[in-house]
Amino acid sequence: MITVENLQKEYKLVKRDPGLKGAVKSLFHRQYETKKAVKGVDFTIGQGETVGYIGANGAGKSTTIKMLTGILTPSAGKVTVNGLVPYENRQENALSIGAVFGQRTQLFWDIPVRESFNLLKHIYEIPDQEFAETVSMFTEVLNLEPLLGVPVRQLSLGQKMRCELAAAFLHRPKVVYLDEPTIGLDIAVKVRIRKFIKEMNKIWGTTVLLTTHDMQDIEEICDRIIIIDEGRILYDGGLEEIKVQFGQKRVIHFDLPELDSPFILPAPLLGMAEVLPASEGETKVSLSFDHERVKSSFVISEMMNRYDIQDLTIADPKIESIVEELYNRREQGGTYEQVLANS
Amino acid sequence: MNKYWQIAKVRMQEDTAYSAWYWAGTVSSILRLLVIYYFWQAVYSNRSAIQDIDLETMITYIVVAMLLQGFVGGVGQDLAENIKNGNVAIELMRPYDLIYKMFAVDLGSKLMHLIRGTIPMMLVAFFFMDIPFPGSVEAWLLFIISAGLGLWIGTFFDFLVGVLAFWTVNIWGVRVLKESLVTFFSGALIPISLFPDWLRVITEFLPFQAMVYLPVSIYSGMISGTEAYLAVGLQLFWLISFYVLVRVIWAQAVKQITIFGG
Ligand SMILES: Nc1ncnc2c1ncn2[C@@H]1O[C@H](COP(=O)(O)OP(=O)(O)OP(=O)(O)O)[C@@H](O)[C@H]1O
Ligand SMILES: [Mg+2]
Repeated sequence: MITVENLQKEYKLVKRDPGLKGAVKSLFHRQYETKKAVKGVDFTIGQGETVGYIGANGAGKSTTIKMLTGILTPSAGKVTVNGLVPYENRQENALSIGAVFGQRTQLFWDIPVRESFNLLKHIYEIPDQEFAETVSMFTEVLNLEPLLGVPVRQLSLGQKMRCELAAAFLHRPKVVYLDEPTIGLDIAVKVRIRKFIKEMNKIWGTTVLLTTHDMQDIEEICDRIIIIDEGRILYDGGLEEIKVQFGQKRVIHFDLPELDSPFILPAPLLGMAEVLPASEGETKVSLSFDHERVKSSFVISEMMNRYDIQDLTIADPKIESIVEELYNRREQGGTYEQVLANS
Repeated sequence: MNKYWQIAKVRMQEDTAYSAWYWAGTVSSILRLLVIYYFWQAVYSNRSAIQDIDLETMITYIVVAMLLQGFVGGVGQDLAENIKNGNVAIELMRPYDLIYKMFAVDLGSKLMHLIRGTIPMMLVAFFFMDIPFPGSVEAWLLFIISAGLGLWIGTFFDFLVGVLAFWTVNIWGVRVLKESLVTFFSGALIPISLFPDWLRVITEFLPFQAMVYLPVSIYSGMISGTEAYLAVGLQLFWLISFYVLVRVIWAQAVKQITIFGG
């Protein structure tokens, strides 16, 4: 259980004039500059939830996660994780959380992965039996067998990340924070990692808080998303709800092999559907429309009346496009209220 | 407790990862031992004592000092690197106390040094150079206690220097300064009793002599009886002071990480 109330963090930076003179001056007369990274965030996450925490670069995601792990002390507000205040009970909190920071390794650099796991066993005081079971399960799901004997420094990024994930879940923590666990990975590794996270959530009821810039991660792992922007929460709710709320736009792709002249929208659809710029040759056409105003079946039947359709696909509303749209609106200078109201 | 011991063991294992490098170190310290040995033989070739210290005592002092000097360093360097690259934040997310953990790491690397560096040097020293043992069981025991205290004082001092990485840009400079201060004032090069009076007085107020000079003097019999017990007492004083200081400065550093963001 994670509860966060009015959580804020401002970083204090020593302001320094450039050059040696500045360095000397700063020794005697320090000036601080503050940078507000998180500006009052509230949410509650129940046991077993899988939450995607998303936002543009610099939005404050990592800062929030660091406060939840206890690495950072909030400037204001309250956090409790499993009833503990993380930054006050750092070691105790550590026992029931796991974390992966995609940008940093937590394994021990010079020893084989197996030894790293063994050391973690002792550090987290994992019983022998439980440890053996966990390791053999992880070895299978993450395909670690070939990696166990290799020192971490010799692993590729994807291999290392699989081991990092295993390390984060090894002590069966109640909560796991994953800060960009799929950064820089190929699609096959991403798939494996997503499957692993889902499975852990299912069998142990691990609460997962995940940040990522890959919306596919979110679609596959999370039930709920929290969108943060410039240190404030923009959206908090179910993944399905956001699609319903913001994703009224549907897209249908048509394959029209007989098309020989430029495509013209059938008259009944004028003003109701929009032709998207074609990408793959002249014979494919995509129409976008608001599914609250027009039924998909209407669009399809009108198209069938006019053209010879070989194939068609109806695209799901993608979280990706929804989020992109939210970011774009913010960038064009709207306030939060406006962005949400206009959606 | 067990977890710290496991950490020490892993450190020993890590040290074996660079094994060729390590044996090169062993060979070079044996060479250094031999050079020093012949150097002092030459110095004594036309005199029988320097300020009451005869050749045998001198050689014993220098050789034992060299053996101990290998232990006065520590893992402050690792700590400093962790601080500079930001990984220290991740350490705060582990269910252990970082100071104890560093202490365990230090223990591991010292055990490894004992096996691969000190023991070969000791064999050379005892069989080839005929270095004598302390005169009595009491002196032996006092020496062992004093040597242990001395190397922990060294460890804590090294931590202190490592933690300074939070506030200094140039850690390398600080380390070089630290190394030379310790080498000179600990008495690892020459016995402090040979220093000119004014320098000796200064040295006696510094913690460095507690790292090497005091235990070696107990070993070689230059200090004995009550004086030896006082020396151990002084070491205890430094050890506790350093430990407290490490804790205080570390708490400050943790604040720096958790409040300022590293
Ligand atoms: N240690 C620090 N000191 C000062 N400012 C920091 C520090 N860490 C982060 N910031 C600033 O705080 C803001 C939020 O950073 P944070 O790392 O939380 O973003 P993020 O959402 O994780 O971004 P990304 O997607 O790029 O990882 C940024 O403007 C960043 O520049
Ligand atoms: Mg981040």
